[in-house]
Amino acid sequence: MFQIAIIIFAVLLFIFGVVVFVDVLLAKKNNTKYHTKQVITAFLFILPAAIFAFFFIALPILYSLGYAFTDTGLFEPDGGKFIGFENFKAAFEEIKNGGTLAIAIKNTAIFVVLVVPLQITVALLLALFCNVKYKGRTIFKVCFFAPVVISLAVTSYLWLILLDPSSDGLMNTILMSFGLPQQEFLRNPDTTMIWIVIVSAWQGAGYQMLIFSSALSGIRKDLYEAARMDGCNAWKRFWKVTLPGLKPTLLYILITVFIGACRIMVQPMLMVGSYDPKAITISYFMYGQAYDFPYLVGYSSAIALLMTIFTGTITFLQRKLLGEKRK
Amino acid sequence: MKEKHIRELINDNEVTIVKKRKKTIYEKIIYYVFGTILSLIFVFPLIYMIAASTKSEIAIANDAGTIRMFIPDFAHFSSIFDNYATLFNGKYEVGRHALNSFIYAGITIVLNILINGMAAYAICKLRFPGKAFFNFIIMFLIIVPVESSIIPLYLICRSMLGFVDKFSILAIICPASISVFNIFLFIQFFSSIPKEFEEAARMDGANTFQVFLKVILPLSKPILATVAVFCFIGVWNDYLWPTMVLPKEAWPIQATLTVINSDPAAETGQKMASLVITSIPIFIVYVAAQKYIVKGFGAGGLKL
Repeated sequence: MFQIAIIIFAVLLFIFGVVVFVDVLLAKKNNTKYHTKQVITAFLFILPAAIFAFFFIALPILYSLGYAFTDTGLFEPDGGKFIGFENFKAAFEEIKNGGTLAIAIKNTAIFVVLVVPLQITVALLLALFCNVKYKGRTIFKVCFFAPVVISLAVTSYLWLILLDPSSDGLMNTILMSFGLPQQEFLRNPDTTMIWIVIVSAWQGAGYQMLIFSSALSGIRKDLYEAARMDGCNAWKRFWKVTLPGLKPTLLYILITVFIGACRIMVQPMLMVGSYDPKAITISYFMYGQAYDFPYLVGYSSAIALLMTIFTGTITFLQRKLLGEKRK
Repeated sequence: MKEKHIRELINDNEVTIVKKRKKTIYEKIIYYVFGTILSLIFVFPLIYMIAASTKSEIAIANDAGTIRMFIPDFAHFSSIFDNYATLFNGKYEVGRHALNSFIYAGITIVLNILINGMAAYAICKLRFPGKAFFNFIIMFLIIVPVESSIIPLYLICRSMLGFVDKFSILAIICPASISVFNIFLFIQFFSSIPKEFEEAARMDGANTFQVFLKVILPLSKPILATVAVFCFIGVWNDYLWPTMVLPKEAWPIQATLTVINSDPAAETGQKMASLVITSIPIFIVYVAAQKYIVKGFGAGGLKL
C-alpha cells in the first residue's frame, strides 16, 4: 500500500515539476523573475493543503480505481493480486443472474425515477407559492425548509418511528382517522422504496425550493408585464416566461438531485437495514460488500467505478442536452 | 377625437388596474389556508417529535388518535424533561457524546480555515511557478463527480496512517479539514481584497504569514463565517464515517442515535428526545447564521 502511494506521489511530483519548469522557462523568456523568498513562502503555504488533499482526496480516488482490478480484502489491503477485469465480469454475472446487485440496481432505479421528478416538482411549486407577495410567506418558507436542517440519521430514525406498522404509529393513526386502511409501510416490500422516496423528498425539497426562489426573484419583472399585455394567462406565463428563466437553475438542480439520488444509502441503511433486499441500494450494497462480510474491497471498488462512469456520463449528457440552449 | 382620447384613458386605466389589482379577501383566505396545510405537511413530524419527547410511554399511548399527540405534555409540567434527564444521566451519556461532536466540529473548523485559507491565499496573491497545476486540480475535483471512495479512505486511515487504532480522532478531523470547494470559495473572496492592505502591513515589517493572519483573515470574516457554518453542519451531521473509524465511547452524537434507537429497551419518548437534542444545535446555527448560509447556497450555484 505504502509503495503504491509513493509511486503515485512521485508521478504527481513529476507532473508538478514539469509545470514549474515550463513556468520558469516562460518567465526567463519574458524577462520576469520570481522572488525566491516569495516562491518558498507560497510552497510552504500550500504544503499542508497539498498533503491533506493527497492523502484524503487523491489517494482514495486512485486507490478505488486500482482496487477495482484486484481481489483485495478488507483486512489485507496489501495482499490483493491483479486479476484484470474479473471483478467487472463477476458484477455483470451477478446482474444477469438476478443476484443482490441486480435487486440493488432495481431499487436504486425505482428511487431515482420517483424521487427526482417528485422532489423537483414539489420544490418548484413551493418556490412559486412563496414567490406570491403575501404577508407572512417567510413563515411558510421556514416551515418548508425546516426538514432540510435535520440530519439524515435523525430523519431516518424519526420516520422509522412515525411509520410504525402497528396501529399505534403516527402515520397509521392519521390514515385511519381519514378512514383509510392500516398500512405496513416499510415492512411491505411493495411500498418500502416508495416511503423512502417520500421521506427523502420531504427532507430535500426545501433546499431546492430556496435555490428556485432566489432564481425566481432574478427573472425580470417587465417580461411578465409584457406577457400580460399580450394576453397570456398565468398558466401561459409560467411556460413562456418562468420556465425559460429558470433553465440554468433547473439544470443545476437536476444534476445535483440526480447524483444525490444515485448515492442514496443512509435512509435504507437505518430505516430497513441488514442489507434487506426490500431496500438495498447500490451504494449500500457497495458499502456492505467491502465493510461487512464478504469483505471484498476489490469487488466493491469495481462497482464504484461503474457507478462513477454512469453518473459522469449522465451528468455530461444532461449538461449537453439542457445546457447548450442557454447560449 | 374626443372618443378616441377617452378610450385611451380607459385603456391606460385598465393597464394600471391589472398592474396594481388588489388581492381580494377570498384570495387571501385561500392563500393562507393552502399555505398552512402545506406547512403542516412539512412540519407535523417535527412537531410530533418535540411533543412526544416530553411524554412517557403511557402518555403517548393515551394521546394517540387525538390532537394532543402534537402538543407537549404541559399537564405534567414537572416531568416534561424526564426523557432528557434519562438520556443525559443514564447509560447513554448523551452529554458526553454531544461534547465529542462539538470538539470534533471545533477543531475541524479551525484546521479547515487555516489549511484551505493558506493554500487559497498563496494561489491567489503570491507569485510562484506551477500555479496552473493547482488551479487545474481544483477545477477538476470540483467538476468531476466521484463515487464514494469511503472504503479506500478507511483503508488509508487504518492501514497506512494508523489513525483508527491509535489516534482515531485524527481520522475524523483530518479528512474533514481539506475541502477543495472551500479553497475555491476563499480564492474568490481573496481576489476581491485590494493589494494596498497587504502592502501597508508589509511596510510595517510583517512577514507573509503575519499578513495572512492579521490582515487577510480579519478582512474576510463573511467567508470565514460561511465556511465555518458549513463545516460545522457537515461534521455535526455526519453519520457513517464516525461509526466506521471511532471506538464506541468516542462516537459523536449522530452515531449514538443508532445505539439509542436500536435499543429495544428505549422508550419512544426517549428516542424522540435523542433526536431533538441532536437537532437543536443545527437549528440554532441555521437561525443564527442565516445570512452566511444563504451566501453559501449562492456560492454553490456559482459552480455552474
